[in-house]
Amino acid sequence: MSNEYTRITKDGLWDNNIVFAQILGMCPTMAVTGSATNGLGMGLATTAVMVASNALVSMVRNVVTPDVRIPVYIVLIATLVTLVDVSINAWAHDLYKVLGLYIALIVANCAVLGRAEAYAQKVGMLPAAADGLMMGLGFTFALTLIGGIREVIGSGTLFSNAHLLLGPAFAFLETTVITDYKGYLLMILPPGGFLVLGFLLAGKRILDKRLAERRVAPAAMPEPVAG
Amino acid sequence: MISLNHAPHAHAPMTVGQVMVTVMLALTPATLYGFWLYGWPAIFLWAVAMGTALLAEAVSVWLQGRAAKPALLDGSAALTAWLLAVSLPPFAPWWVAAIGSVFAIVIAKQVFGGLGQNVFNPAMAARVMLLISFPVEMTMWAAPMPITAAQAPGFMQGLAITFGGAQWDGMASASLLGHVKTEFTRGVDLATSLPAHFAAVHGGMMDAAWGSRAGSLGETAGLLLLAGGIFLIVRKVITWHAPVAMLLGVAAPALIANAIDPTHYLGVMPHLLSGGLMLAAFFIVTDPVTSPNTPAGMFVFGLLCGLLTWIIRSWGGYPEGVAFAVMIMNSLAPIIDRYVKPRIYGRDRKGQSLQIEAKGSAK
Amino acid sequence: MTLKQLGKLEKLRAMLGYPGAVLGGIGLLTSGALALADRATLEDIKAAQDLDMQQSLTQVLPGKYENDLLKDTVVLPGPDGELTVYRARQGGKVVAVVFKVQARGYAGPIVSMMGVDRDGKMLGVRVIKHTETPGLGDKIEPAKGEWIHSFEGKFLGDPPAEKFAVKKDGGVFDQFAGATITPRAVVKSVKGGLAFFAKEKTRLLEDGVQP
Repeated sequence: MSNEYTRITKDGLWDNNIVFAQILGMCPTMAVTGSATNGLGMGLATTAVMVASNALVSMVRNVVTPDVRIPVYIVLIATLVTLVDVSINAWAHDLYKVLGLYIALIVANCAVLGRAEAYAQKVGMLPAAADGLMMGLGFTFALTLIGGIREVIGSGTLFSNAHLLLGPAFAFLETTVITDYKGYLLMILPPGGFLVLGFLLAGKRILDKRLAERRVAPAAMPEPVAG
Repeated sequence: MISLNHAPHAHAPMTVGQVMVTVMLALTPATLYGFWLYGWPAIFLWAVAMGTALLAEAVSVWLQGRAAKPALLDGSAALTAWLLAVSLPPFAPWWVAAIGSVFAIVIAKQVFGGLGQNVFNPAMAARVMLLISFPVEMTMWAAPMPITAAQAPGFMQGLAITFGGAQWDGMASASLLGHVKTEFTRGVDLATSLPAHFAAVHGGMMDAAWGSRAGSLGETAGLLLLAGGIFLIVRKVITWHAPVAMLLGVAAPALIANAIDPTHYLGVMPHLLSGGLMLAAFFIVTDPVTSPNTPAGMFVFGLLCGLLTWIIRSWGGYPEGVAFAVMIMNSLAPIIDRYVKPRIYGRDRKGQSLQIEAKGSAK
Repeated sequence: MTLKQLGKLEKLRAMLGYPGAVLGGIGLLTSGALALADRATLEDIKAAQDLDMQQSLTQVLPGKYENDLLKDTVVLPGPDGELTVYRARQGGKVVAVVFKVQARGYAGPIVSMMGVDRDGKMLGVRVIKHTETPGLGDKIEPAKGEWIHSFEGKFLGDPPAEKFAVKKDGGVFDQFAGATITPRAVVKSVKGGLAFFAKEKTRLLEDGVQP
């Protein structure tokens, strides 16, 4: 049983990462990763939706028949997204001004429907919710990483406006990496997202290849695998 | 290493390296003229672009586990950097050239698989990237100040301009296309803005033809570029199809539009001699990698490049559209190839086997 | 779920109307949830939006005023259709008005909020919505540059109407290196706003009954 959750965790965070392995959810990945804070916010909002949608889908899996399952899942996901949308608008309005435009995009994030279809409808509520959480966190990790790289190269800052997302306590995250930076506009515009994603995908493949090689020949590389 | 290839064999009259050297030779007159016209900063900028490109090429090739020397000696990286350098504003800071070269070599060329695999022309991809990212630096044109002239920057001042970001009198000159576009946005039509521009910046159209005007390092000398292009056609490095078609693609709509409304559309000669058109027509759209394979395909490709250039110049947000037009058409080149197919050896245009007479009708 | 229940469910699932009923049922449930959420958040969202509006109003109204601007409005035909004008009062007298103006920038409409005092002198301008190029045109935001403050204290006459333009067009306002269209659009919209104020001055400053 615990093995199952280890696998869910590894899948969601790395092996089957929504962005870096499944290459799903490209629309939010490109649209909101102009800064690390935006990536983080979008990732967390998506995580909330995915946990709830996976749990709900798993809950209704015995009731819903195969012919209507897609419309049912879409209705459920759209409802959840709308709930997140109005909640953020009402109770985190400053964040809404930054992310508002993109929250509705979560409906169109095929990764949410993809997890419902590929996993949640086949298992119980607990593993389904765990899968939603881990997949969402993996997505958050990917978006924050891409956003961070784009932000540093594009505007020379990191986690700017973090206090809007996480509250004033997290203002310490806001750093100016390069002072007096003129900015590299390409990185903030959509092409920058594609470039950074491309290099990160290549980097992940190289890393995975190296790790696999080490696993095959543990005698040659006795030290523990760092990951 | 012995390589075994199946028949049919085709004989290539030149190696890749020889082609590259010939093209660089054809570019030399216009470039030298640019050096003379804009002085030391232009020379430094060119050197930075070349040096960075070769370094980027060497590092990329080394990362791929290949030997760097043959890749550097084929001259393709040097040519890319050269084409990029001549399309830059001559007084641009060094990092513009360096970032552009790295982008051209690493992202536009090596990431796609290296020489012969790139979808987009590396020099144009880098130029578009620079224009989008650094619009201020990329539109700081310098008025021509021949290197021998008194007001031209000297060697040390040149270093200060390229590497130290120093300003220089006459750096705020507008290119003709940029000037016309700016004046349009405030509602001044060509009848007023064109004479004002010529009076302020240079003598007239003949000066523009020789290249004595504000513009990119090596793009202004239209006639020298034309001469270089003809040299390449004579040496059979390129064919006439794409260049002629591209010039036609700009000239024909310019002629018609100018005849209909001369106050809103530039005439044929300013279009042909402005911006990067001459350079692109002979040195960019003729790039064998990023253009179609057949002569007919090349003609269509060139014509559409020209037409898009004219459209972007006339109605687009940017004053110059050559680089954008070339990149759009680069991505369409495979589609052109799909419809204008080369004949397969031993088959007719429709792909049917050729009938072999001697054996009679094979059943 | 017990075996018996499962058997029942199987029987149900075989019925023709079952999928439709499931879809309809879930549609009902979700609509209910949405309606509840809408009710629960409506007031908070309205309050947050009012606060937003209040903040942008205060930014262009540096002086003191005693009324709730959001409640003291007049609607007049403006340069781009109907225009809501917010009025600030002191001692029941209208001392300043705030309204929105817009113009086409480089990449889309630029909407600004401008505050004008009784004499037609500008108190402040803030761009509240724009899609200009980051790093170039966005210097119109107060966070990215001082430019937007250059309007403060200006009125039609100082500078004179023909000088109310960016420097490139022979006016007094700076343009940005590499971006002329954006500041030109803002200047144009502000000039239009001042003209609107001059035209409607009497109706705008009517003290009337304070609501």
